[in-house]
Amino acid sequence: MSENAARALARMFGRMSEMIEARKDTLSELDGAIGDGDHGITMSIGFKAVIAALGGLDLDKASPADVMSTAAAGFLDAVGASTGPLYATGFRRAAQALAGRDSLDLAACTDMLVAISDGIRDRGKAQRGDKTMLDVWLPAAEAAATALADGRSRQDFWKAITVAADNGAAATATMVATKGRAARLRERSLGHPDPGAASAAALVKAIAEAL
Amino acid sequence: MALKTSSPRKGGIGRASGAEGIDSIPLRYGDDPYVWACWLYYEDGMTQGEIAAAMGVSRATVNSYLADAREKGIVNISIEPARLASLTIAQELKRHFGLADCLVVPNDDDTRPLIGRLGAAGAQALSKIVKSGDTLAVAWGRTILSVGEHLETGPLQDVTVVQATGGTTASFAYTPELTTAAVARAISARCVNITAPAIVASAQTHRMLLEEPLIHEQFDTLSRANRIVFGISSLRPNSTIHTSGFFESVPLQHYLAKGAAGVLAGRFIDERGRPVAGPLDDRTIGISLEMLRGIGTRVAVAGGFDKVPALLAALRGGYVSVLVTDAATGAGILRADGVTSLDGRLSQRQKGPAAANTYRTQVKKFLNNPNDVVEEMLDGLIAAHSAYLKPVGTAQRALVARNGPRAGKVGLVIGGGTGHEPCFVGYVGKGLADAVAIGNIFSSPPPDPIVKCAVAASGGAGVLFVYGNYAGDVMNFEMAAEVAEEQGIPIRTILTTDDIASSPVEDKEGRRGVAGNFFVFKVAGAACDRGMTLDQCEAVTRKANDRTYTVGVALESCSMPQTRRHNFEIGPDDMEIGMGIHGEPGVSRERIRTADEIVDTIMDNIFKEMKAEAGDRVAVLVNSFGATPLMELYILYRRVEQRLSAKNIAIEANWVGHYCTSLDMAGASISILHLDSQLAELLHHPCQSAILTINTPGTDGSAPG
Repeated sequence: MSENAARALARMFGRMSEMIEARKDTLSELDGAIGDGDHGITMSIGFKAVIAALGGLDLDKASPADVMSTAAAGFLDAVGASTGPLYATGFRRAAQALAGRDSLDLAACTDMLVAISDGIRDRGKAQRGDKTMLDVWLPAAEAAATALADGRSRQDFWKAITVAADNGAAATATMVATKGRAARLRERSLGHPDPGAASAAALVKAIAEAL
Repeated sequence: MALKTSSPRKGGIGRASGAEGIDSIPLRYGDDPYVWACWLYYEDGMTQGEIAAAMGVSRATVNSYLADAREKGIVNISIEPARLASLTIAQELKRHFGLADCLVVPNDDDTRPLIGRLGAAGAQALSKIVKSGDTLAVAWGRTILSVGEHLETGPLQDVTVVQATGGTTASFAYTPELTTAAVARAISARCVNITAPAIVASAQTHRMLLEEPLIHEQFDTLSRANRIVFGISSLRPNSTIHTSGFFESVPLQHYLAKGAAGVLAGRFIDERGRPVAGPLDDRTIGISLEMLRGIGTRVAVAGGFDKVPALLAALRGGYVSVLVTDAATGAGILRADGVTSLDGRLSQRQKGPAAANTYRTQVKKFLNNPNDVVEEMLDGLIAAHSAYLKPVGTAQRALVARNGPRAGKVGLVIGGGTGHEPCFVGYVGKGLADAVAIGNIFSSPPPDPIVKCAVAASGGAGVLFVYGNYAGDVMNFEMAAEVAEEQGIPIRTILTTDDIASSPVEDKEGRRGVAGNFFVFKVAGAACDRGMTLDQCEAVTRKANDRTYTVGVALESCSMPQTRRHNFEIGPDDMEIGMGIHGEPGVSRERIRTADEIVDTIMDNIFKEMKAEAGDRVAVLVNSFGATPLMELYILYRRVEQRLSAKNIAIEANWVGHYCTSLDMAGASISILHLDSQLAELLHHPCQSAILTINTPGTDGSAPG
């Protein structure tokens, strides 16, 4: 039997949580270089809370939008800091974008990625080049839109997105932070990839693997 | 070396008796021919031949003495550290990017603006590069204009200087025309301008203009250029690319969205240096990237941290053969491109052998489970201060004042991360904050407890959110405000921004909120308690924030309970002025000085901004970052008082102690609230909280913590 869209999304969040767990220490180390060293822990707490919140949802009856808004609320209540509002807003926007849909075709996936990216941008008031997670989410969303327009296969679609995300994360090493706590370091942030961008690239990878 | 008594040339110089036989080495050289040879060579400036004659040995022997002396460490050649750092960075840039040459100016000389120093260095480079008969293309920009202003060359003949792009409006000083003219004038060269706009309305106009014989001829000259000097612009929001109006903002967004990282001579490149295509491409009159890369000597002059990605892109793209930049930018470029060997070499050479590690590997703390510190602290705190506060429902992360909220009163909600105790929890009580939202260590609370606080604090007259200006806090409180407003509670937000070291005065809104929170909370709490309206409460709280000035100095880093290691390091003899309460870097790291000198630096900075006159009144807060004892705080207060009374400024009230800490950081901050009659009245208004209690209005408000 084919799994419904809500189950697919729940599985996606499961994969995201695993991906963060596997990188928890690396992310905290990255953060230690330019932040306060807790990014891995924060993300881990956030996604564990998402999994717990989704556990309370009846996935046979829930819509994809329900899964997204439940994830948003779960993440936000557990995390605070700056990652909390950013991802919660992104997921909430994704819930709006998926409202009324019950399949996760490539158009829906594109809308979801674009909504997450837009939500993060609007909440954080950052822009490309500020050395943030947005340097991953924006190119990933753009790659999705381009791949969709070009009529790529599902495999090529996700490949283009993960490549864009990885390039974006790598490029943050050459940027000077202007937002968040790392902004206080100015040039001392150079050469260090942004931990928020690194975790975002891991999340995009997880989404690609799950969907 | 010590002063010599007489020149060895006149002194007892022995005569040679054999090839290596030195019959009499002057006594002062201690029988050491190496020292003698070195002295004659380095101190007396003799040639190796003269030394050979003087010592009675062969020239080859002198040569080997000198070489061995360096090997043996008898002679050490030292270069001033800042210059050495510049040279090291220049060498590494040259090697890493395969440049023909590289000139790096030191950063220690901050007396002149960077543009001027880069201009002088660029001029120095050009004066060596440009030869008679050359055609030098010149791109526009602030830095290149500065090169022109500094340029002096020897007598050169038949040099042509040609503008690399079309012209722009003259609304700024560094137009292509002026920049080119300045360079041409300095070389006494023939100046060829491109007499067309840099950007034209359409591709069609572009084609037509280039067909004009005059412009065609100018482009011919440009295509003959064998040297070019250009600047590199970033696309950061404050770069000249935006402010000059050279480009329209809409197409700029297009290029940004396609990953443009920098601009050279009006052309866009991405982070790898590849051209970025866009709507301006066939409307831009000027040198193309391809033409630029074909020129033999390509001198780029640019510096500043915000330009690092753009410079890196230009270097990766091979557009630069000679780079002129500053040491910090150069080091930044290398670090950004993954060159890490430099850091070790720089610090090694500058600091000599690494200082012994003065930091313990683990800091001792009273802990049960490090992951439970916040909950366990709150258990204890709620039990200890139950007279003043209690949890909202069962939520420990939202605490409400027992006698605080009441119908018709504006509510005051404060909050933030933990680790700053007694901030924020200590300031909840009647006459102060009505509720506090509590996050993890150094980390904002999520919106949920903030909303709970807003609901608990609301008396139907609206609620003030007052908290420090940090990205995370702003986002969570904003989301909470949205939810509270949906529930019919009007919310007004005041961000505290008292840390004057965290950003220049032009960016006052971007400053951090630190210990001055104390004064802002006190004033806001009193205003609310007096039954002022939401508008009035907001206005007077804003005023209190605007008139509060704080500067902190850190001596030692704090350590987190989870890691029990220092978060960062401050050298054994150093301090950091302006460091934030989460360890954010401040304005300068320098050697520690006396307490009075430190206070003087702080007070000078505060006086620069606080327009206080003789007879004015202030409140003073001398605050420990956690580990600094009261003894030292009083030493600081002593000098603060001296400085204020010398200006005949009266201290209306003072607090000395732990009011806004940073875990176990050693250091202190000084906050001054510049009072007016309204603020003074509100400061004296009674309040009862765990940390601050003021009973009698109107009398001396001093209340030790």
